[in-house]
Amino acid sequence: MREANHPKMEENQLDPEKWVDRYSDYLFNYTIVRVNDREVANDIISETFLAGLNSMKNFKGEASERTWLISILKRKIIDHYRKSNSNKGQAELKMNFPDSENEGDWLEERVADLSDMTAEDQMENRELGLAILDCLDQLNEKQAKIFKMKTIDGLDTETICNEFNISPSNLWVIIHRARTSLAKCLEKNWF
Amino acid sequence: MKGISIMKLSCTEAASVCNKAEYKEANLREKLRLRLHLFFCKTCKDYHQNNRKLTGLIKKADIKPCSAEQKEIFKQHMKNGSSKTSK
Ligand SMILES: [Zn+2]
Repeated sequence: MREANHPKMEENQLDPEKWVDRYSDYLFNYTIVRVNDREVANDIISETFLAGLNSMKNFKGEASERTWLISILKRKIIDHYRKSNSNKGQAELKMNFPDSENEGDWLEERVADLSDMTAEDQMENRELGLAILDCLDQLNEKQAKIFKMKTIDGLDTETICNEFNISPSNLWVIIHRARTSLAKCLEKNWF
Repeated sequence: MKGISIMKLSCTEAASVCNKAEYKEANLREKLRLRLHLFFCKTCKDYHQNNRKLTGLIKKADIKPCSAEQKEIFKQHMKNGSSKTSK
């Protein structure tokens, strides 16, 4: 059995059975601002999980599981851009593509281009979204799930209570705990 | 006379109403009692302000959840070792 509270104390390990439940939201929010297409984002994430499975032997345990998955994801996103460039050819030539040494910058430029908000706002909101998901990772899984259903999916109290077989007052206690620790977690950088 | 004590909220109750209010699930009576409590209680007033701010941040972040169906598809892909099944 895993101890939920102090994963960082132990050596980092991979637990692919849990990847989808743990990281899908994070990976999705990371990807969607970069490719701006839900279906493409889901394909890329699916490929990322598979590539992760196939390269588990390369995991050295130096980074966290999620950081490791993100590094795979980044490569997949870059592959996607390469492919769509060669497909679209002329259409995207007007954009300035640097050579491979600065792929990171290239991604950032792509992100900057797709928005109707100012690029900075969008970047900041994206960082904020990932920070929130990051903080929610520190709650226990049930609390995090209930909080997300209530706050992000906007489901009503009754639906959630039925699904988890809890009373409304239980739900509000969980929401209270989640909000308190989320505020504390975000405090340093965002409040 | 227990008029005042009916009006009174404990800090725990105030926090609870405060949370419900963030999801628009506090009724008028609760909201009035919360107002009154916040008038006297600095701790809850701070909590209330932080809580408002948190709601604002969450809205601003516009987090896009990955649906349960999509998660099932990911799991299926991992099991099959291929992402080609869904199409
Ligand atoms: Zn109070």
